[in-house]
Amino acid sequence: MILEIVPLTPSLLEFPFEWHYVRSIIYVSLYVSLVAVALSTLFSLPVAMLVGFSEFRGKQLVTAVINTGMGLPSVVVGLAVLFTVSNQGPLGSFDLVFTTEAMIMSQFVLAAPVITGVSLAAVGSVEGGVRDAAYAMGGTRLDVALVTIKEARYGIATAVLAGFGRAISEVGSVLIVGGNIAGPDGTSKTRTLTTAIQLEARQGRFETAMLLGAVLLALVLLVNGILVRLGSGSGTGGVR
Amino acid sequence: MSLEEPVVAHRSTPSGEPILEAADLYHGFDGEAVLEGLDLTVNAGEVLAIIGPSGVGKSTLLRLLGLFERPDRGSIALEGTDVWATTDRKRLASRRRVGTVFQAANLFDASVRRNVTYGRRIRRSWRDRVRHEIDALLGRATVDEPVIQALETVGLADALEQDAASLSGGEAQRVAFARALAYDPDVLLLDEPTSDLDPRNTAVIEDAVRAARARGIGVAIATHDMHQAERVADRTAVMLGGAVTEIGPTERVFESPRDDRTRQFIDGELVY
Amino acid sequence: MTRKVTQSGYEITSNSEPAEFVTGSNYAPAQTYLSVPAIVVSMQIQRRRVLAGLGTGVAVGLAGCTGALGGEDDDAAEISGETLTLTTTTSTYDTGLLDELNAPFQDRYGVTVDTVAQGTGAALETARNGDADVVMVHARSLEDEFLEDGYGVNRRDLMFNDFVVVGEPDDPAGVSGGDDVVSAFAEIAAAEATFVSRGDDSGTHTKEREIWDEAGLEPEERGEYQEAGDGMGEVLVRTDQGGGYTLADRGTYLSMQGEIDLEIHVQGPIEDGPDLLANPYGIVAVNPAVHDNVTYDLAMAYIGFLTGLEGHDVIQGYTVEGEQLFFPEAVAEDPNFQQYVPADWKPEEG
Repeated sequence: MILEIVPLTPSLLEFPFEWHYVRSIIYVSLYVSLVAVALSTLFSLPVAMLVGFSEFRGKQLVTAVINTGMGLPSVVVGLAVLFTVSNQGPLGSFDLVFTTEAMIMSQFVLAAPVITGVSLAAVGSVEGGVRDAAYAMGGTRLDVALVTIKEARYGIATAVLAGFGRAISEVGSVLIVGGNIAGPDGTSKTRTLTTAIQLEARQGRFETAMLLGAVLLALVLLVNGILVRLGSGSGTGGVR
Repeated sequence: MSLEEPVVAHRSTPSGEPILEAADLYHGFDGEAVLEGLDLTVNAGEVLAIIGPSGVGKSTLLRLLGLFERPDRGSIALEGTDVWATTDRKRLASRRRVGTVFQAANLFDASVRRNVTYGRRIRRSWRDRVRHEIDALLGRATVDEPVIQALETVGLADALEQDAASLSGGEAQRVAFARALAYDPDVLLLDEPTSDLDPRNTAVIEDAVRAARARGIGVAIATHDMHQAERVADRTAVMLGGAVTEIGPTERVFESPRDDRTRQFIDGELVY
Repeated sequence: MTRKVTQSGYEITSNSEPAEFVTGSNYAPAQTYLSVPAIVVSMQIQRRRVLAGLGTGVAVGLAGCTGALGGEDDDAAEISGETLTLTTTTSTYDTGLLDELNAPFQDRYGVTVDTVAQGTGAALETARNGDADVVMVHARSLEDEFLEDGYGVNRRDLMFNDFVVVGEPDDPAGVSGGDDVVSAFAEIAAAEATFVSRGDDSGTHTKEREIWDEAGLEPEERGEYQEAGDGMGEVLVRTDQGGGYTLADRGTYLSMQGEIDLEIHVQGPIEDGPDLLANPYGIVAVNPAVHDNVTYDLAMAYIGFLTGLEGHDVIQGYTVEGEQLFFPEAVAEDPNFQQYVPADWKPEEG
């Protein structure tokens, strides 16, 4: 619904694009990054809990791997995913090259270490006494895990937002695995805001690129704002 | 046992009879032995004080009694059943009949209501839990009678919707007590519950302990305050050197201890 | 042995190693005396393939025509709903011509064309991996390699435009107005004027290196030679800001005229400049024998469309800043056999 209101403002700025085009690349950007972050959160939270609350040999190594993963160059991840989904690769038969699904895969790889690492810190800082209290009241391990997540919810929200920021603003991997495809009528298939910006910059149209950049920033602010609102709107501690 | 039953539940073990028994407990950490051949019995409808010097292992004992960990050796029996010799499901059921209150309140970062209703919530089926969550989100949350009564027992029935973080230390500990009481356990374990509290809140907690006893709950309270033991406990166990050296009616233990070590300990502690 | 049938019912058999078709050994002198009979046989196979390719091309082109006449086209229904993956260079895509070509093609056949603008090397590499169905680039030597390695079939010359040497209006090396680009480059080097190169193995860069080779120069050693590693638009902006010269395709230059102050100092063949600055575009289908997952039928339909009358009209009518950008070559009365084989391929004499 918000996406319908925005077209009013561009007419004041002489927006060089058709609204249809911008809307479709916004849609692709959001679809890819939100799905990747959602899947990544589902994966990362249990991993963070497991790593945070078990003792095992190699725990330090795993933590180091997670932290290193936060700095994975997006182009490298893109290439790795391309090798995997390419016709020549192990997942070649699924026809995933130049699709949004492959883009989701690569952004999953980029966001997961961020979300895991920050969540790990967040759940690690939940006091053992609170976990004991949940256990003392007859909670199962799952109950205690849920309590831990809820106690660490602000840190976890930060983790998810950090992962989203990483995903939505990266260009290297989605360019390689997606191919920056848009139809002749301006409908984006795999073109995101970031790859559209890259396209404009490549053609030397720097001002247009900056305009799209501003749209991207506004979008990120909007998503952050919504999530923060959801967090504080539920008052004291929300759902447990 | 249904959660909807009246507060003074029918207890399977009558007052005065043993409900939780620890036999020949041995337990240690990192090669250090803490408990060595400890025996203890908690009776229903009775308050047992556990006294002893700092670091003797009172907390360890309570953790074992609360079924947090398995003792290295020995048995813990609830109503005669060795809990570590049964299935996980049965052990969970046993654990759910025991409540523990710690020295720190350890409240959840949520409202008082959500804290105190936690025990009852997790005992519901997942379908019921989800239904209740949806009701809560829609503003249609209801509170069970036992929850209100638990809060009334600690004098905080008005604090239902308050944020746990906004409570004072004493109020928080009282809510912690109510939290354990709300799901009506058969045994209540208290690990130095009033060490950090002022006299007024201490008195409230001690009243609540008496109320729990009146409901037929078997209460064990670890305390370094012998006056507290005298005030609330029917029996007192003296823990020295990893075992219970003396146990008996509180008055007798303090006035005519049978063990010399007990006398030394009491004399030493009573200086303060 | 796999058998494929084009929509016109023409059978394609692929019962031989594709490398047999054209490999270096077919005309390497040292091996000629050993493999004469094989070469004669493979010549015949090749001729059959060439004719097969021609026949298919004509048949597909005709199929396209009947569609244009409004008849119910059974052939179109077979490929309807499919997606064609086309890889091409960034400069080709950035001209906007492909959108003009793809829209009517998509409507005609009810298909989708996914255009991936990657840069010459990547476009061909993607095709080699079987992730593309058809490739359109403008680097003949690389296209030839693609054919020779067996990854491409049915190449057509599609269209051409040209390169121009552009530079700051002051023209410090004094090359303006000349018609010999090789000596112009030499003069630029001699004058130690700045030269900005694409430096990215693109078609433009390949052409630029070719000219330096012709001039017998190795510009990388000179300090005034800058390798940008960037797209054409960015290189033009850089030359505009930093001064000097660069080699640009006319299309990108035209579309950026409003934003930069550079002038054309050496014209390309479109404006009577040297042929060396010609920039021919080729289109090649990915060989279904090597990658059986490619939508070969659709690729051939696309090539047929582009090299047919309708494609010709769209290409010819496409303008940037009021000037025609591309000159279609495919529709021609006189045969051009060289477009089907690598540029220096000759039939072996016995």
